Amino acid sequence: MKNKERASSSIRDRLPKILSPDREVLSGCAFLLPLFLFICALILLPVLGTFLDSLRRDLPYLPTTFVGLDNYLAIFRDAAFWNSLRFTTLFVLVSVPLEVILGLIIALVLNETFPGRAAMRAMVLIPWAIPAAVSGRIFELIYKYSYGVANYCAHLLGVGPVNWLGTDLGAFAAVVIADVWKTTPFAAILLLAGLAAISEDLHRQAQVDRANFVQRFSKITLPLIKPVLVVTLLFRTVDALRIFDVIFVLTGGGPGGSTNAVSLFAYTYYAAGDFGYGATASVLLFVVALGFSLAYIKMARFGEELL
Amino acid sequence: MREESVKKILLAAAVALTTIFCLGPFIYMVLTSLSNNPDFLLPTKPFTPTLANFMAVISSESAHFLAYLRNSLVISAVVAVVTVFLASLAAYALTRLSLPGKTILLLSVLALSMFPPISLISYLFKLMSALGWVNTYAGLILPYVAWTMPLSLWILVSYFAQVPLDLDRSARIDGASRFQTLIKIILPVAAPGVFSTALLVFIFAFNEFLFALMLTVDYRSRTIPVGIALFEGIHGQIPWGEIMAAATITTIPVVILTLLFQKRIVQGLTRGAVKQ
Repeated sequence: MKNKERASSSIRDRLPKILSPDREVLSGCAFLLPLFLFICALILLPVLGTFLDSLRRDLPYLPTTFVGLDNYLAIFRDAAFWNSLRFTTLFVLVSVPLEVILGLIIALVLNETFPGRAAMRAMVLIPWAIPAAVSGRIFELIYKYSYGVANYCAHLLGVGPVNWLGTDLGAFAAVVIADVWKTTPFAAILLLAGLAAISEDLHRQAQVDRANFVQRFSKITLPLIKPVLVVTLLFRTVDALRIFDVIFVLTGGGPGGSTNAVSLFAYTYYAAGDFGYGATASVLLFVVALGFSLAYIKMARFGEELL
Repeated sequence: MREESVKKILLAAAVALTTIFCLGPFIYMVLTSLSNNPDFLLPTKPFTPTLANFMAVISSESAHFLAYLRNSLVISAVVAVVTVFLASLAAYALTRLSLPGKTILLLSVLALSMFPPISLISYLFKLMSALGWVNTYAGLILPYVAWTMPLSLWILVSYFAQVPLDLDRSARIDGASRFQTLIKIILPVAAPGVFSTALLVFIFAFNEFLFALMLTVDYRSRTIPVGIALFEGIHGQIPWGEIMAAATITTIPVVILTLLFQKRIVQGLTRGAVKQ
């Protein structure tokens, strides 16, 4: 492969380059310096700081002490943490497939030609553009027990009023629906770009060969958009794992902690001044996100396709 | 032919459902903001249109709504300009200079966006407290610039790679410095891409919640998503009409931007993820 050739041949060239940098490398460093500074000071250092915090007891009005893995041992015995990890995982496993399937359907629709398609493509972006905290507020109103539009529709369908935010299942569904509304457009946009890249000729040829819609979808469309599908799944999963805004606004983690996402769990400790314990939950969330990402990357080997 | 007509019906149904799905909550927000009572769906409470909610939100001194909105607009605009400028410098280096380890650099920068923001915020809070920058514009702008940098770099690299190398080579021969080449040749040629990137960064900064929640205290720097999330009213009962009026005013700029520049936004979003 091209990359390998470059790597093997340039090791010799590279050494003297680093030892006696030429002007190109020097100006390269100058151009990259601001990026490095920002990323090191405000992303890498904070992540490292959070990791170190997780090894400390860091409470208000008390001297900060190094406690090794005590926080981790404590959090692994903390039922509330397991509860929040279970909710977060369940939330990802339910909402991400929903978003990707709905997004794929919307993308398939937008990929057809029909009057008003351009307007429709713009309209689909509206939920994406609205701040999640604001859409959380809209859904809070939608789920109001006595006068919200959700129970109004339930009533029209002949179903009794649903206690959306007061029951475990109702609150879970409420959070999933709010998140699906907000993020499906993003999935649809990515998948639409993938669909648009498929050549028309393939479908026309298949039609000549009398392949029906289902056959064309499973034999042509699906295999060809697999890379985009995996990228969409990866982006959505990483984003869903860190869910915070919608839950903070909509349920506040309730009822009874049943929708207490890990981010919110950690935030609650930060807000109370317990930085060590909050950091421990954050580090574990990061580890889970990393695990998911590695799984996807392995699944699609999409590192090769990116560059 | 039968497949065609079935397809047409399915398509029409899907278009209708998608429209309801996407616009429903948005329309409900606007309707509530224009109603004198949020429970207008009850048969006993008629919908009476009014602008009172908007008046209340704009004129209320204690709600600080306009201050939040101004903070959001200023902070997001500054972040968009600064991030895109700094990311352009880096994207120039990665697409125009022969540097060792470029690919690894680009991939590791992208990997940074895997970090959940919650794993940065406690340290950022401590840092900004130590600097005395909590509840200032700088205290939000700097983390936002860092946080939007990986995505911007990723998108800009893909746009800059499409600008023909001959263009800047001839500029260099004419004696332009690398910086001049970037500013006078590459940025203008890649202007649509640069604009898409700036637009995306603006929207991300405008919509960000967690950093703004932790790093701001009051109207002097609090942004509008946090303002709306924490808006509870003072009379005990949640003033839904006013909240939805505030939400409507907030979403209108982003929605207009989105509708106007739909193509640019989609291009930018998919640049980062889909290799075409």
